[in-house]
Amino acid sequence: MTAAVLFQSTLASLPEIVVVTGACILLILGQLVRKGQQQFLVWASIAVVLIAALGTLMLAGEVRPAYSGMFIADRFAVFFKVVFYLVTVLTFLLSRKYAEIEGIGSSEYYVLLLLALSGMMIMASATDLLSIYVGLELMVLCTYVLTGFLRQQQRSNEAALKYVILGGVSTGIFLYGVSLIYGLTGTTQLDRMAAAVTGDPLDPGLLLAVVFIVAGLVFKVGAVPFHMWVPDVYEGAPTTITAFMSVGPKAAGFAVILRVFLNPLVAASNVWIIVAVIAAVTMALGSFVALVQDNFKRLLAYSSIAHAGFAMFGVAAGGADGVASVMLYLLIYAFMNLGIFGIVIMMRNGDFSGEVIEHYAGFAKSHRGLALLMLLYLFSLAGIPPTAGFFAKFYVLVALVERGFVMLAVIAVLLSAVAAYFYIRIVMVIYMREPEGAFDPALTPAVGATLAFTAAGTIGIGLFPAWFLRLAQHAAIGG
Amino acid sequence: MTIPLLSLIVFTPAVGAAALMFIRNDDVVRWMALGVTVLDFAFCIAMLGGLDTSTHEMQFTETRPWVPALGITYALGIDGISAPFVFLTALLGWICVLASWVAIDRKVKEFMVSLLAMQALMLGVFCALDLFLFYVFWEAMLIPMYLIIGVWGGDGRVYAAFKFFLYTLAGSLMFLIGVIVLYFHGGETFDIRTLMAQDLPFQIQSWLFFAFLIAFAVKVPMVPVHTWLPDAHVQAPTAGSIILAAVLLKMGAYGFLRFSLPMLPEATVHYSTLMQVLSAVAIVYGGLLALAQDDLKKLVAYSSISHMGLVTLGIFTLNLRGLEGGILQMFNHGVTTGALFLSVGLIYERTHTRSISDYGGLMKAAPVYTAFLALFALSSMALPGTNSFVGELLVLSGAFAANLAVGAAAVLGALLGAAYLLGMYRKVALGPVSIGLRFKIRDVNAREIAAILPLAVFVLWIGLYPKPFLEIIDASVKHLLAQVHGKGGAQ
Repeated sequence: MTAAVLFQSTLASLPEIVVVTGACILLILGQLVRKGQQQFLVWASIAVVLIAALGTLMLAGEVRPAYSGMFIADRFAVFFKVVFYLVTVLTFLLSRKYAEIEGIGSSEYYVLLLLALSGMMIMASATDLLSIYVGLELMVLCTYVLTGFLRQQQRSNEAALKYVILGGVSTGIFLYGVSLIYGLTGTTQLDRMAAAVTGDPLDPGLLLAVVFIVAGLVFKVGAVPFHMWVPDVYEGAPTTITAFMSVGPKAAGFAVILRVFLNPLVAASNVWIIVAVIAAVTMALGSFVALVQDNFKRLLAYSSIAHAGFAMFGVAAGGADGVASVMLYLLIYAFMNLGIFGIVIMMRNGDFSGEVIEHYAGFAKSHRGLALLMLLYLFSLAGIPPTAGFFAKFYVLVALVERGFVMLAVIAVLLSAVAAYFYIRIVMVIYMREPEGAFDPALTPAVGATLAFTAAGTIGIGLFPAWFLRLAQHAAIGG
Repeated sequence: MTIPLLSLIVFTPAVGAAALMFIRNDDVVRWMALGVTVLDFAFCIAMLGGLDTSTHEMQFTETRPWVPALGITYALGIDGISAPFVFLTALLGWICVLASWVAIDRKVKEFMVSLLAMQALMLGVFCALDLFLFYVFWEAMLIPMYLIIGVWGGDGRVYAAFKFFLYTLAGSLMFLIGVIVLYFHGGETFDIRTLMAQDLPFQIQSWLFFAFLIAFAVKVPMVPVHTWLPDAHVQAPTAGSIILAAVLLKMGAYGFLRFSLPMLPEATVHYSTLMQVLSAVAIVYGGLLALAQDDLKKLVAYSSISHMGLVTLGIFTLNLRGLEGGILQMFNHGVTTGALFLSVGLIYERTHTRSISDYGGLMKAAPVYTAFLALFALSSMALPGTNSFVGELLVLSGAFAANLAVGAAAVLGALLGAAYLLGMYRKVALGPVSIGLRFKIRDVNAREIAAILPLAVFVLWIGLYPKPFLEIIDASVKHLLAQVHGKGGAQ
């Protein structure tokens, strides 16, 4: 590797390098920060992310392949990285007060989040099954630890253990698929795989390999039948981490799924049938099981399963619009889901856990503005216009119908009608019940800023989707 | 640059709703809501004044790109079919504010915000010339209406609100799929005028017809998807009931007129007999159910099902008299049933009972109120000289021309209407004053008269001189018929 090539590769992966370096520096600095000055860590972490974001945007002008075909910095990756930055920064803002209340505000918390971010970024840029694997592992290892961060709580420990074991198995399955691919094609690079196969794309060995890879990836986005970990982990983890996991790693999983599934080799093996079935079953399970949840975090866990199912429909549709629809969906989902999680995180204060839906009864009476925000997020998650959630779903449906999958579109909308029920049930609780006690939300300026920003995104993208749509479409064609 | 009058009409209530959020005093909120709705009504009068009734073309059109990548535009415009409903919605806007003046005594601000938001969205539905925009308005209405029923409703409000929400949502979502399919078959555009000019294959038309039917039938509501209506009506506060009956139900029928008939003409003709039969079933079934009710609101709700059956029957006769009668009857039903719900609300505020058997002798206790009640009951049963007579006569003559058996069933429905409405009036207004209510009744005051009088004026005006109303819709209906029956206009 000559110096020029090395320089080009370094340049392409500069944002990742910034984040990893920043994380390492913070790890050292964290030991020097005295108790009570931990908000320095928050601002330093945000600064690291913003520097990386700046780098990403400055390098976004051209497509940069790097590290001999294992990595690429293209518009597709840039789009996802922007989503990741957004999610991470908002998580930092939400974490400050929450970490103090829960007593988890050590420097490792922020460092691990930054490392998870770098893993997600590598996943978005990876063009080789092995670099995908590296990014994936970096991300999930951090989230395993973060899930168990509430060391005093049994359910947090249980969640972490469950996550590690199931995650390990799924990674093993993924690697097994990769090894089969390597055996059949002699390469792990996505681009070269298709060229290497000359025979029948429906070769049973190849099909087996694809199914294994699908299984490994589907685990990460929490789709059926690999969804079992989601409710327990989401419930047990610190709520800020739940918020982060429900959007960040999920979006990263979809980034990889899109890259792998759009590969000609995989596309030729009629994988869309598998994806379509997974999408329908995932959405059905998420929607129906969420109907009977009393715990807010568990409900949002099933809701996130249902949303993963809906985004999966976009993957099944494929094509330029299908890919763009998934990307737009994830962006919008990040806004509305972080918004609703922001509320849940904010409500954790004093004796109030903020996790039982019934405890929100009559919330609208004393906190009109916050209740209105909840209303906005919930109707957006339910997909009612004029919120962004509607446009996200609408575009996926357009992509489905464009490819002739009208029946899939019908299934998707019927299930989203089911899902609407549990969102509006929460609206009912906050608006149509009488309050039983006083509410004392931990509304710091940072949390307020997060809520304002997510609300602006939720309503703004809903009313003026044109610009964001074009962004997603351009990025999709680039990928 | 011309004034974008329709945008003004649609967004005045929305801006008003946003402004209301920052006001603390309940009385100021009430007066401001009234001011906004009256202003909106004034814009509507200006719009009607400038309406050219000699053409079927869309007027006051505005078009701006919204999501160019998908061919979505922000396009508004009205023709002779939508203009009366824009007017009706604006008229009922301030009547609803007056009707909620004292009836809503908690969370006044939130209520008025919901009411104004609702009005903006309803006006948007009638003005939209882009299918996507139409759908956004159509579906967004669920949010304020869900809150109006669920927060300010009666004892069973939560159940009613859920039922309303889920029924309508499930119906609308099938419509959404239909819209997207239409988008790809109609040249990747959501523009309603362009889509009307498309000539789709019959099979596609059939599928779309049924996808649209689900959404519109729920909204109308047609039997057998009507069960949300009595619950929603009974539980909703007075203003909510008025909006539901007078405007929301019209949207289903409006959907048939705006989309099913002109865009799917072959399927419409092919399934018109089915639709006529469904309408006839609704007329008779709704009437029979109304006959058995003791709850005043339920009685009016079931009579709505029966009367909306008459509307859909008129539309699907697919002849001139039937269609004009159907559209006029939509307007009439809005006025008359809105007024009936208002009347029921007024008396409920005083007595807190809706049970007919609790009442009696109102004529002695509240003569002015009873006179209004009599007028609206007579209008609802289509007595000559009232508005519904004109509409019903046109529908019936159209129905007999189209299908003798269906016409006969519709006449039976009219008979039933006379039976339950006169029965209700006899029990409520005549006879001795019921003991329980003797000291509770006071007659209507000036505010209440201000709310109810305009509706009475329309009842008599359309009843005695319907020509100006029919003139507004005439050109558009003729054009619509030409679209349905092909360019030759043959039947």
